[in-house]
Amino acid sequence: MATKVIMPKQGLQMTEGNIIEWKKAEGEVVEEGEPLFEMETDKLTIDIDSPVSGTLLKIVRAAGEVVPITELIAVIGEPGEDISALLADAESVAAPAAPGAAPESTAPVMPPSVDTRGASDAASASADQPAAVNGLPDNGRVFATPRARMRAEEHEVELSTLAGSGPQGLIIERDVLEAIKNAPRASSLARKVAEQMGVTLDGISGTGPQGRILRDDVLSVVGHSSGVGGATGSASVGEAGLQSARKLPISGMRRVIARRMRESLDTAAQAVHRIEVDMSESGRMRAKLKDLGIKVSYNDVVMKAVASALREHPRMNATMTEDEIIEFSEINIGMAVAVEEGLLVPVLKAVDRMGLKEIHAESQRLGELARDGGLSSADMQGGTFSVSNLGMYEIDSFTAVINSPESGILAVGAVKDRVVPENGEAVIRPMAHLSLTYDHRIIDGAPAASFLRTVKTLLENPYLLI
Amino acid sequence: MANKKIAVAIRDVIAEEMRRDDAVFVMGEDIGEQGGVFGCTRDLQKEFGKLRVRDTPIAEAGYVGLGIGAALTGMRPIIDFMYLDFTFVAGDQLLNQVAKLRYMYGGRASLPMVIRGQQGIGRGNAGTHSQSVETIFTHIPGFKVVMPSNAYDAAGLLRTAIRDNNPVMFIEHKALYITSDEVPDDPDFMIPFGQAAIKRQGKDATIVATSLMVSRALEAAEILAADGIEAEVIDPRTLLPLDIGTIVESVKKTGRALVVHEAHRNAGIGAEIGSEISEEAFKYLDAPVARLGAKACTLPFALVLEDAVVPGVDDIVESVKDLCYRKN
Repeated sequence: MATKVIMPKQGLQMTEGNIIEWKKAEGEVVEEGEPLFEMETDKLTIDIDSPVSGTLLKIVRAAGEVVPITELIAVIGEPGEDISALLADAESVAAPAAPGAAPESTAPVMPPSVDTRGASDAASASADQPAAVNGLPDNGRVFATPRARMRAEEHEVELSTLAGSGPQGLIIERDVLEAIKNAPRASSLARKVAEQMGVTLDGISGTGPQGRILRDDVLSVVGHSSGVGGATGSASVGEAGLQSARKLPISGMRRVIARRMRESLDTAAQAVHRIEVDMSESGRMRAKLKDLGIKVSYNDVVMKAVASALREHPRMNATMTEDEIIEFSEINIGMAVAVEEGLLVPVLKAVDRMGLKEIHAESQRLGELARDGGLSSADMQGGTFSVSNLGMYEIDSFTAVINSPESGILAVGAVKDRVVPENGEAVIRPMAHLSLTYDHRIIDGAPAASFLRTVKTLLENPYLLI
Repeated sequence: MANKKIAVAIRDVIAEEMRRDDAVFVMGEDIGEQGGVFGCTRDLQKEFGKLRVRDTPIAEAGYVGLGIGAALTGMRPIIDFMYLDFTFVAGDQLLNQVAKLRYMYGGRASLPMVIRGQQGIGRGNAGTHSQSVETIFTHIPGFKVVMPSNAYDAAGLLRTAIRDNNPVMFIEHKALYITSDEVPDDPDFMIPFGQAAIKRQGKDATIVATSLMVSRALEAAEILAADGIEAEVIDPRTLLPLDIGTIVESVKKTGRALVVHEAHRNAGIGAEIGSEISEEAFKYLDAPVARLGAKACTLPFALVLEDAVVPGVDDIVESVKDLCYRKN
């Protein structure tokens, strides 16, 4: 008999999942436990394993579709099997899988295993979640009495996590009260933080009075003490009573960016130096290379100059741990790439040993992968310094936030013709502003200035790069 | 305090009020020499004479009309209906005249009259002698509607009714006349209209019951208590004015409500009270408001069939268990 595969609920807050990729095509054989599809929730991206062995008879919801939890997404069975009834069932969403009369194996099977990708993102994968599916008879709508809703609101209980004991799974007051009685005692701040971090309170031991779970207990489990600022900050926005015109779910990427930016500003002592660079010679070099059929961008030249300068100023290519400063021998430069709804920083490895042609090719490759969502984790790791260029947006100058735990980031503005004095005369030169954000814990103002001046010298005399 | 049956309590209040105020007089069928079918006017004619305790022909519309005239000219008539079913005979006088005259005269006339009598099941009196009429008089504006369930309330409420300057429909129950209760001796003992009585405290469900159903609700509450359900029983005592506040407060506490009355369930006062609860305490409800009332059929002659048509103790127990999502 055929088995229904439904959108699984991963984590208490999950209401829908985005199917990223089917690992099997229709007609392919799949083993139980083998990855069947990849999906993204608002918190994480995971591979979901097949709940049974068989042939993938039908992919009901294609890659790219956002599907509410418990809805049918695929059918696995024997080749040639008639699954029209199953599919018809799924069409009429209001009628959930017929229990009782239906053979056991046609009951929806929730794929069990969860592979968390991106270990930094603490995901809740609690195996013993309440059997919420009964409370969600159709379309994920929760049926509860007004009194149950009132109690749930009072005690900040999420109704969709409860199993209703009333007629047809109706959630009544008693169900809410039981849940409150059985729920871990926690401060409301701890609950908010846990929700932000995507962790459940089950299993967290509280250090407050009578085992009450406090904010720090949640944080110690998550291991991100610096996440607090972000968590409480956004909570206060929610409580300000502003009427938001549009509420956007926080994507996994957005969550990571938010946490990392906050972390960076919370830990690094960020100071900024600015310098103006005459790009005439770099421009001339680009033009000549172009004549030779070699395409090189200003950014490629900047990357090369930064790599050379880092070799000369190793303290700018460093990080700080609890008790030491580590200067890296490799020079791997992260390149900030804007993507839809976010930002990625792929890393060019050993830039100091690359020629301009190679830098250009590698930048192009990583930029395209970033925009197509094809970056591997290896492409994103190992950075020792970063460069962010907003020249294409005609930005003159800006301050970038350090990509922790690196010690600096160079913000590159647009190359624009400007009037500058030269030998007592006003001349027009293509100029660019560079802003170096550096971690003052690691490097002081003068050496940082010296590094920036080296970058300037290299860009104004690009032949030194050869 | 004196222990009195309801019929005696009513007779005593009428007598006391007639002694106190010469304007008070009684009019109705078989009330004088016979003292009323249920004894509510027994011996009154001996004390007050045929002028103040007047036997009338079987002509309800006629003597209600007489009462209207008397009330308009300063008397305080108590109109006795042998059966409240007969108010339908005097429908025009009651619903078109008594209920409306003060309004029609621009407030310059008042009708201090009490229309009282008994209704309901209990004697196998069949379809035209067993009905419950309170819904009709609550629906048409102009009456105050009073429904005592015991001698104490009957005494206190009847005195308030007699001293009221507007028409009061005072609805007694034939099966309750023989029930007795302690009644204060105070000749000015009055219970204000619009004050419900909480007959039993409970936290799990609210039962609103009227007249004969109050005792059945209390009996059901005993049975439910043995099953771990603490029901609160409320007797509104007057349907108009209705003490919805007390009912709503109770429902806010319990989250569940059953309204039970002997009148037909369809379009009964239970629907009105249930609707008020839904409006005033919606978010406190853990179950839809339930109603019990007589089935939508003519009251039968046979006593066993009377019982089958009207809510009994078991019906109340079962309904409250349903409200609590408890099944046997």
